[in-house]
Amino acid sequence: MSSSTDQNDRLLRVPGHELELHWRSSRHARRLLTLGVAGVFIALLARRPEFAGVAAPALLLLGAGRVQRRPSRISVRVRPSATRAFEGELVALDVRAEGQGDSHVRWTLHPGTDIDPGEVTAADGPQARFTFTPERWGRRQIGTMDVVLRDRWRLAEGHLTVTLPKLDCYPAPADQRTRVVLRRLPNRLGEHPARTSGEGIEFFGVREYVPGDRQRSINWPASTRRGRLQVNTFAAERSQDVVLLADATSDVGVPGSSALDLALRGAAAAARAYLEGRDRVGVITYQWGGVSWLGPGLGRRQLYRIIDSMLASDSGYARGASFRRLPRAALPPGALVVVFSPLLDQRFVESLRDMRERGFHMLVVDVLNAEPPVRRRREDRMARRIWQMEQEAIRFSLRELGVPVVHWDGVQSLDLPLAAHTRRPLAGRR
Amino acid sequence: MRGAAILLGAGCVVWATAPPVHRGYADFALFLAILGVAAGALRLVLAAVPVPEENYLLPLPLQLCLRFLEVLRLVPWEEGALIAVLWLEVLHRARPWHTAFLGAALIAYLLATHLAESGASPDALRPQVRVLAVGAGLLALGAGAGMVPAVGPGAGSALLRLVAAGALIAAAGLVLPYVAAPGPPPGGGRWPERQ
Repeated sequence: MSSSTDQNDRLLRVPGHELELHWRSSRHARRLLTLGVAGVFIALLARRPEFAGVAAPALLLLGAGRVQRRPSRISVRVRPSATRAFEGELVALDVRAEGQGDSHVRWTLHPGTDIDPGEVTAADGPQARFTFTPERWGRRQIGTMDVVLRDRWRLAEGHLTVTLPKLDCYPAPADQRTRVVLRRLPNRLGEHPARTSGEGIEFFGVREYVPGDRQRSINWPASTRRGRLQVNTFAAERSQDVVLLADATSDVGVPGSSALDLALRGAAAAARAYLEGRDRVGVITYQWGGVSWLGPGLGRRQLYRIIDSMLASDSGYARGASFRRLPRAALPPGALVVVFSPLLDQRFVESLRDMRERGFHMLVVDVLNAEPPVRRRREDRMARRIWQMEQEAIRFSLRELGVPVVHWDGVQSLDLPLAAHTRRPLAGRR
Repeated sequence: MRGAAILLGAGCVVWATAPPVHRGYADFALFLAILGVAAGALRLVLAAVPVPEENYLLPLPLQLCLRFLEVLRLVPWEEGALIAVLWLEVLHRARPWHTAFLGAALIAYLLATHLAESGASPDALRPQVRVLAVGAGLLALGAGAGMVPAVGPGAGSALLRLVAAGALIAAAGLVLPYVAAPGPPPGGGRWPERQ
C-alpha cells in the first residue's frame, strides 16, 4: 500500500502534458446505428412494425449517448522508473491521466525497436503501470502509448498518442572476476601485489633486521636458525592504468550477439572488474573516421562514463584522429591495453602493431563469432578458405609481436579465455 | 466474453434462418451472415496478435498473413452480418415474437462483441441498464403491434401501426435525458488525495 502511495507521489511530481483528444464514433456505435437504420428501413418497406421494435433499443442507446459530455483535453503524466538500464533489465513505466471526467481510459503500449514489452501491453483505468525490457544496447525510444477514452455509453472514443521518453540502454556486462595484471606496475598505491617490498599484506621475503623495523615483523623461527634477528617483508601493493580499446569499425554476426555487441559487453565487464580492483580505467573507441576516448579514472562513476562514452562516441570525437595523436591522458605510458575486436579491419590491426612497437602491453580479446556462408561453388569455397587463412595470419602476426590473442564467444565467462594471463603477471616483450 | 459473442452471433444466424426459405437471395444472405459472424469471431480471436511496424523485410508468407490480419481488422464484418440476418428474417412470413427475440439477441450480440473487443467487464454496461430496459419494452410493444390484427385490409392500417410504433420510439427518446442521467463512473472512484 505504501509503495503504491510512493509511486503515486513520484508520478505527481512529473509535469503533465495537456493533450487534445480526437473524438469519433466507436465501432459499437456504428453497429448500433446499422441495426437501428436497417430495422427502421425494413419496417417501413415491409410494413412490419416488429422491425421498428428491433431498431428501438439500438436507437435509444444512440440517443442516450448524445447526452454525455466529453472532455476535449486531458493531462497525461508519464514516468519511467529509470532513464538508464542495462540490457535485459526490467524497467517500469507509470502513466496517469487527469481531467478525463467519468470517461473510461484504456492504455495501449506500442514498444519501440528492441524493446520487449512483456505480456501486458494494455491496461484500463486512470493510471497504469507497464513493464518492459530493453533487449539491445543503444539510445532507444521506448515507444508510443495510445490512450483511448470511452464515454459512459461507450459510443464515442477519444484518441491520442503519447510519445514515450528515450532510454539509454547499456550493454549488459559479461561475467569477469579475475584481472590481468602487468609485471611492472607504476608507483601508485593500489591492490595488486608488486614485485617490490612494501607495506602490503602478501609475504615477500625475509631480511636482516635493521634499527627502525617494527618488532611485530620479526620472524622468530628464522632469527633462531640464523642467530641474528630476521624480519618478514611484504609485497608492495600498486595499481595500474588500464585502457580498453573497443573496435567499432565492424559489426558482423547475428544482431544481439554480433561482434560489436560482444566488444561492448566485454569492455563493460573489463571496466567493472578493473575498477573494482582500484585500477584507473579509460576507454578508446575506434570507429570509421576517427577515435573517441575517455582518459583513465577511478571509481564507480567512471564505469558509467566509460559506457556512455562507448554509446555516444560523438563526445570527444576527433575526425581523422589516430592513436599516434592521442594525448598521454588517453593512453598513458605503461598502461595495459585490453583490446576487444573482431580483427577484421586491416587499419585497426596496423594500429595495434604500431602501439605494440611503441611499447604498450596489450591483450586482444577476439570477438569474431561469424564466418562467411558456406556455398557450393568452388570459387566461393576457395574465397572462404582464403578469408580463414587471412584471419589466422592476422592473429599469428600479433602473437609473433608478443600480443596475446584470446577468443571469446560471448556466452562463457571472460575469465575462461583470460585464465592463462590472469594466473601470473603479464610480461610483454620490450 | 469472446465465446459468448461468437455463440450469440451463431445463434442469431440460426434463429433467423429457421425454417429455411429459398427465395429473395436467401442463400446469398445466409452466406453473408455466416461470413460476417465467422470473420468477426476470427477478428476477436486474433485481436491480441501484434503487427510489426516494419514488415518490408519479412518473408512473403508472413507478409500475406499480416495483410490478411489487416483486412480482417478493417472490414466491418458485424454490420454486414446484421443486415444479412435482418434480410433473412424479413424473407419469412410475419412472426412478431420470433423477430422480437431476434432483436434482443442481436443487441446482446453487439454488446458482447463490444465487451470482447474492448476488454471491458460487463459492469461497464451498468449505466445502460435503464435504457436497455426501456428498449426491451419498446421491442415488446413493437412485437405486440405486429400481432394486432389490422382494422381493415389494405396498406393504410399497416402504415398506421408503423406510425404508432414510430411515435412510441420518439416518446421514449423524449424521456431519455431523464432516464440516462449521468451517475458515478463504473467501478470508478476518486484518486487518493495527497497527504
